[in-house]
Amino acid sequence: MYNLWKNVLEEIKTKVSAPTFSTYFADSELITANGGEVVINTKNIFVQKQFEKKYDGLIREALKKNKIEVKNITYVVSAGSTKVRQKAREITGENIEENARGVVKKISEVAKERFDNKENPSGLNSRYTMENFVVGSNNDLAVSVAKAVIENPGKRYNPFFLYGGPGLGKTHLVEAIGNELLRRNPKMKVLYTPIDHFYSSFVNSIQNKKGAEFSQRFRKLDLLIIDDIQFIVGKEKSQEEFFHIFNDLYQLNKQIIITSDRLPNQIRTVDERLASRLSSAGTFDIQMPNFEDRCAILKAKAEWEGANIEFEAIEYIAENVKTNIRDLESEYSRVLAVADLKGVTPLQLINAGYSSAIGGGKSKSVSAKQVVEKVAKYYDLSVKEMCGKSRVSNIKTARQVAMYILSKELQMSTTKIAPEVGVKDHTTVMNGLKRIDTDIKLNFKLRDQIEEIKEKIYGN
Amino acid sequence: MKIVVEQEKLAKALNNVSRIVAGGKTTLPILNNVLIRVDAGKATLTTTNLDMAVVDYLPVIESVDGVITAPARLMAEFVSNLPKNAKVEIEDKDKKITLKSGNYKATVNGVEADDFPEMPEVDEKKSVAFVMGVDEFRAGLSEVLVATSNDTSRPALTGVFYNTFNDSLFVAATDGYRLADRKIVEKVKSEVKAIVPTMPLNEAMRAIQEDTEEVEILFNELMVQIRVGEVEITSKLIDGSYPDYRQLIPKNSEENIEVKKEELVRTVKLAALFSKTVGGTIKVETDAKNGKLRVLAVANEMGENASEIETKVEKDEKITLNAKYLLDALNCIEEESVIIGLSPNLAPMVVKNAKSSDYTHIIMPLNV
Repeated sequence: MYNLWKNVLEEIKTKVSAPTFSTYFADSELITANGGEVVINTKNIFVQKQFEKKYDGLIREALKKNKIEVKNITYVVSAGSTKVRQKAREITGENIEENARGVVKKISEVAKERFDNKENPSGLNSRYTMENFVVGSNNDLAVSVAKAVIENPGKRYNPFFLYGGPGLGKTHLVEAIGNELLRRNPKMKVLYTPIDHFYSSFVNSIQNKKGAEFSQRFRKLDLLIIDDIQFIVGKEKSQEEFFHIFNDLYQLNKQIIITSDRLPNQIRTVDERLASRLSSAGTFDIQMPNFEDRCAILKAKAEWEGANIEFEAIEYIAENVKTNIRDLESEYSRVLAVADLKGVTPLQLINAGYSSAIGGGKSKSVSAKQVVEKVAKYYDLSVKEMCGKSRVSNIKTARQVAMYILSKELQMSTTKIAPEVGVKDHTTVMNGLKRIDTDIKLNFKLRDQIEEIKEKIYGN
Repeated sequence: MKIVVEQEKLAKALNNVSRIVAGGKTTLPILNNVLIRVDAGKATLTTTNLDMAVVDYLPVIESVDGVITAPARLMAEFVSNLPKNAKVEIEDKDKKITLKSGNYKATVNGVEADDFPEMPEVDEKKSVAFVMGVDEFRAGLSEVLVATSNDTSRPALTGVFYNTFNDSLFVAATDGYRLADRKIVEKVKSEVKAIVPTMPLNEAMRAIQEDTEEVEILFNELMVQIRVGEVEITSKLIDGSYPDYRQLIPKNSEENIEVKKEELVRTVKLAALFSKTVGGTIKVETDAKNGKLRVLAVANEMGENASEIETKVEKDEKITLNAKYLLDALNCIEEESVIIGLSPNLAPMVVKNAKSSDYTHIIMPLNV
């Protein structure tokens, strides 16, 4: 990617003046160019604007000359730290997904497009299939229920209530059920909708006096998939309508699938009748995958995409991202992108000290001994001096900083730290850690020192 | 393009926009120019250095629509030297701009507006806005700007941190040695955490006129826009994480002493004279037995100095710090009395306004 962009820039260089080039183009980067979707990073909003308004044509031409397919170009500015929020918009999960760079659409917009799309009345995303859903110990029960639902829709597991934390694949699994059922029986009437879009459609239908049409549309369905039902909070009228639709479909033995991030009785303001209905056929969860599952997921993804990534690199990512699958996949994409940018393989990148954005990814590549050596060197001491018995304040501080880094960065226990820094027992380590913990809040110098040492440790 | 404007208004507007112009330092010559645009009878002047932009609306007596750019500094200096109360006429023809005012006339080479950068717009729907009185805006800034850092290796500390906390808007700045925090607006409805570079803030302060009443600040994730009267200043934000500075402010100091600001400033200045060789290190002590606050010079190569202020003191505390930082802190407070907070164990010194809790300035001790 890096070399590619370099060629593009060479092309552009011949078309604009040298000052223009150095002012606008020199700091730009090509982030991706997958399937015609091109993303280019710019230095700041001012440069972004010039790219959009003045140089878009030039960039497109230069990309084409370098045989890069271009449908859409998005110019972005990297920013991560600034946060703005209007309180009134806090109600739903929408704005969490909102991305100021304009790369990601609001989920409600996506849902709306899918919901109102005549060519795809089911609202299902065909990307989600049972084949590309990786089964592991974290989700095998949910998957076997999903298979039972596919074999016998509307029978034993009705409603199928699936819950689990964000980014663990709930949406994937339920959409895969819909896609599979549609594949087997293309005439089946399937609808996938996130609950918040259910509301807005309902409210619209009331405003347009088409309430009857709305409920008819739902009552004709053979399979209804409602995503993220936890956002049902505090909307009584729609809840009432949903309850009726639910009952009608249920009595006609039509399959209903519901996802949530928590159990029905934990969703506040859900009517008790509805809560008990939702869990009447049992509730099934998807948990965070363990290390092996995470490896399997990434491996499957790499095979699916035909990406070139070593298994060791996959292991490294799987080991360091423990939050959820969405983060796992984004970290995977990031490693691939950065490796691509630097023209190395993912494993080379990791071995060169690439630090993960999530998780404490750095810690694995350094040993306790290295930490102790670096700290001693930083304070101009020998390891022997630092790990000796001296109570001189600078030596003592160095020793405590070493303990602190071992504890925070390598997550070592106090008993394990003690022999590394030559102290008697874990209580001494605990005292040392406590002291640094307090001092670091007040003493900027110490904090900077520790940051510098960390940089030295991970720097080479 | 043609405009006829009162000399004073034009001079003021050109002055407002031309300060940010790089003046020969830029590689891109067009950035030395001001964009003069007349659109449906409305005239604006725009300049940018590609980190920020200033737009000023110009009240015109007569106008013909059009757009051109001209060297900003030259225009500003020429117009400011014309007689007051006169009318100035600016007209462009074939990229030559004629300035006329009575018997004074000049022709300046213009550059086509096509080469001038496009300005990013602020999408109000995706932004949060805060409106405040000019006094709050100005006081907030003048009390924290001094604590910003010049060290470009930590960019976040070179800016002013606008942040909301408990439904109030605060500005804060720190360079790692001292920290200033000021509440400027209460009961705000939006949330923000953004680091604003000091240059647009200084420009916004300069743009304040006698009749300006309010300042509006809009933030989105990439930029800030400050609207002061007819002037709009747009800037990028600093990308970086700001330290969790509230952790650094001691909740309660062990000893709080109220002193006359003037008196303390004098004693600190006197002590600083004797500590020049050690970089202005002075010691501040409280003496409970004698009811005194004492300020001493630490180095005695030049001699010694100790000054005392009589006041109510309950505990013995002491701190060693840099005299300059203490003077800076005291100069930020526009009140007769200040409260000095001290605690043991190398805790920072807290300097507050005796009449208001909105402002907190803390100074890290020197460990000697």
